Amino acid sequence: MADLSVTLAGLALRNPVITASGTFGYGADYADLVPFERLGAITVKGVSLAPCRGNPPPRTAEVFGGLLNAIGLQNPGVDKFLHDSRYLPFLRTVDTAVFVNIWGTSIEEYAEVARRLDAESEGIAALEINISCPNIKHGGIAFGTDLGLAGRVVREVRKATRLPLITKLSPNVTDIGEFARCVVEAGSDVVSLINTIPAMAIDIETRRPKLANVTGGLSGPAIKPVAVRMVYQARQAVDVPIIGMGGIQSAADALEFLLAGADAVGVGTAIFADPGCLVRIVDGIDACLDRWGVPHVRDIVGGVIV
Amino acid sequence: MKNEETARSLRNDRIQGDYYRLDLEAPVIARAVRPGQFVHTQIPGLAHRVLRRPFSVFDTDPATGRLSIIYKVVGEGTARLAATAPGTPISLLGPLGNGFSLPSADAFPVIVAGGFGCAATFLLARRSPVPFRVLIGGRSVADLLLVREYRELGCTVRVATEDGSRGHRGVVTDLLAQLLDGGGPPPRVYACGPNAMLGAVCRLVSGRGLDAEVSLDHVMCCGVGACYTCVVKVLADTPDGWEYVRTCLDGPVFRARETVWE
Repeated sequence: MADLSVTLAGLALRNPVITASGTFGYGADYADLVPFERLGAITVKGVSLAPCRGNPPPRTAEVFGGLLNAIGLQNPGVDKFLHDSRYLPFLRTVDTAVFVNIWGTSIEEYAEVARRLDAESEGIAALEINISCPNIKHGGIAFGTDLGLAGRVVREVRKATRLPLITKLSPNVTDIGEFARCVVEAGSDVVSLINTIPAMAIDIETRRPKLANVTGGLSGPAIKPVAVRMVYQARQAVDVPIIGMGGIQSAADALEFLLAGADAVGVGTAIFADPGCLVRIVDGIDACLDRWGVPHVRDIVGGVIV
Repeated sequence: MKNEETARSLRNDRIQGDYYRLDLEAPVIARAVRPGQFVHTQIPGLAHRVLRRPFSVFDTDPATGRLSIIYKVVGEGTARLAATAPGTPISLLGPLGNGFSLPSADAFPVIVAGGFGCAATFLLARRSPVPFRVLIGGRSVADLLLVREYRELGCTVRVATEDGSRGHRGVVTDLLAQLLDGGGPPPRVYACGPNAMLGAVCRLVSGRGLDAEVSLDHVMCCGVGACYTCVVKVLADTPDGWEYVRTCLDGPVFRARETVWE
């Protein structure tokens, strides 16, 4: 039994396996299927100031080795999230750390969501700032692909809350390192990456895009090598903890991210097909560290030999 | 309670045309499932496809733990499923979705089904305290399924084919309109089939002040309510009168009077 515990910005997690935002709902939908007490943390679906309907369907399309999505951040809004029994009140009863993903259509909205969550923050371990969603008209990726805006969003959210801050970075940039540095300088305690990659699929019979939104974000095993590369580059750029994600389906995938420099990993699209993969990844990391004779998971972080 | 259960394929046979029946040994889900619920099915040997496929539960035998589905080969996933040998382990999530409500003993229940939609309503007829009238439609006789099985349950079955190769020439909702206008007691209507058929069912019953339970078929992703892929518009108390709800969790069965057809 290796020691799998990790500490992210002073936050102790029992292991490095975290659910990725948007793939685990608000937790309750998977309560029968996943033992939360075996997970490092769960990241819940993006919460905005006002309720959001999301995009018209079809919202997802399966592609070779991956999934395209343009859900459009459908969510109940921060007030319902705080007070409806299906959301935060439920999450306060689960035995794992809860990260709340937040987004807005303006910098003021990001800050206001953070302020409201901070005011009733019992049960919230950290906020994850989503500056990288490719599927909404205003906000999202626009903030994550402009250094000035990315820095301003993080600075304003930093002022609005004492909770640890994770910033989720977009892969849709030339130099991921400068975005990692930018959000850390603005006050982000942790960076997470990558969000989905802007992409498109077409039905050749109808000649129409497979998504009503025309384009969407690609996730799943198809993007894993891109994500590993970006985690590796972000590791060169910043010293803060990194949550690496993108196509992880197995313990071997997770270990690749840890070796590239991630302190923890996010698992997303794989949950849809296989909710049991979360616990298998935790157990598989443990077994592999034992096989290698490595006593603590932190000992392999960034251990890629180049 | 949602379960993840590794089922074992017992038999996987072609019924007719592109339609197959898969029997699985899945005792936990087989004993828990209610009519109209579905199982989210991992197709063996399809590693480059990242999603499960949802199938309505057609029939169960709680005593032996058997659970059966009926599917049509329409793409890569179902083609691969059709090639799955007996004995193969198949992971299921289920039972999922809300399911139909059973009719009361004094009801006059009717099933309207198109294509293999009649699989989703079979358990409803089996568990009903009163025999159903069953209206089954398809493009041609090759698309009519389960007629004998419904009759064996004691149901009265009428069929319609668009090409006239069996029964009424036309669509199955013609038969529903005849029944609704036939002067009998107002029926309790249940429906599953293509969305165009379901829209017609909803318009027919709504136009006569009746309601129906309709099982909608939408592309799903997680199947459990987490991803918000399979949303459908329903009437709601919002400024413009509608909201998106999840077919997998809030459905797949909806009331005709809450549905929105565009």
